[in-house]
Amino acid sequence: MDLSLETRQQNDRTIIEVGGEIDVYTAPKLRECITGLVDEGHKDLIIDLEKVEFMDSTGLGVLVGGLKRVRTHEGSLELVCTQERLLKIFRITGLGKVFAIHGSQAEATAQ
Amino acid sequence: MSSPVSTRTDAAVTISISRDPALVRTVRLVAAAVARRVDADEALIEEIRFSVGEACAVMIGTGENDSASDGHVDVRITTDDHLTVTVSGRADGTDANMGEMGLDPWALLRGLSDNVTVEDADGRTTLRMSWPV
Repeated sequence: MDLSLETRQQNDRTIIEVGGEIDVYTAPKLRECITGLVDEGHKDLIIDLEKVEFMDSTGLGVLVGGLKRVRTHEGSLELVCTQERLLKIFRITGLGKVFAIHGSQAEATAQ
Repeated sequence: MSSPVSTRTDAAVTISISRDPALVRTVRLVAAAVARRVDADEALIEEIRFSVGEACAVMIGTGENDSASDGHVDVRITTDDHLTVTVSGRADGTDANMGEMGLDPWALLRGLSDNVTVEDADGRTTLRMSWPV
């Protein structure tokens, strides 16, 4: 499965719903999406990974790059993820402490 | 009714791919198929699929670095009492963002399994990982 990206605005947050596989082939598309949004002034992002079926370290790198990018604009990048196989790779790399990871979009937007 | 006869036999699959990120998914699918052939459970199949994809991703990178576009990556999967995967090629794909976080490019694979070895020789990196099956 390829990568799907759906973006919508909720109050002052921009939600990116990601589906499919974030791997070495598709990750650049996610990076372009994040970069484009930040360049348009959307600096508070929530990336929903609930429909992601696969993510490798390239995907993690894109998320880290996105986090750095929004921080330079005094923005935020938070994640929605409850899938154990994805949470595991955040834990292994220590990135679980770097990202705010929420259990639902409602929880993320309530912050 | 007679008992089903086991069809499991030792096997070897070798794939050589050009440094095209689009081909990594194909390697993942092959690795998963070989793991299914030896009756690995779904969790192990997923771990093998992930690990092989991750190894190829680090070897190949996203292709955004022109200097990393030539050459090829060889993947060999063998099965006996272990499923062993050997991936060799030039490891040019270390993602700069991961590096900036102070992470070893093989951090994910080392975190997933104790049975990961990485050797560098003659400009090529060879990564070997295995799982009992």
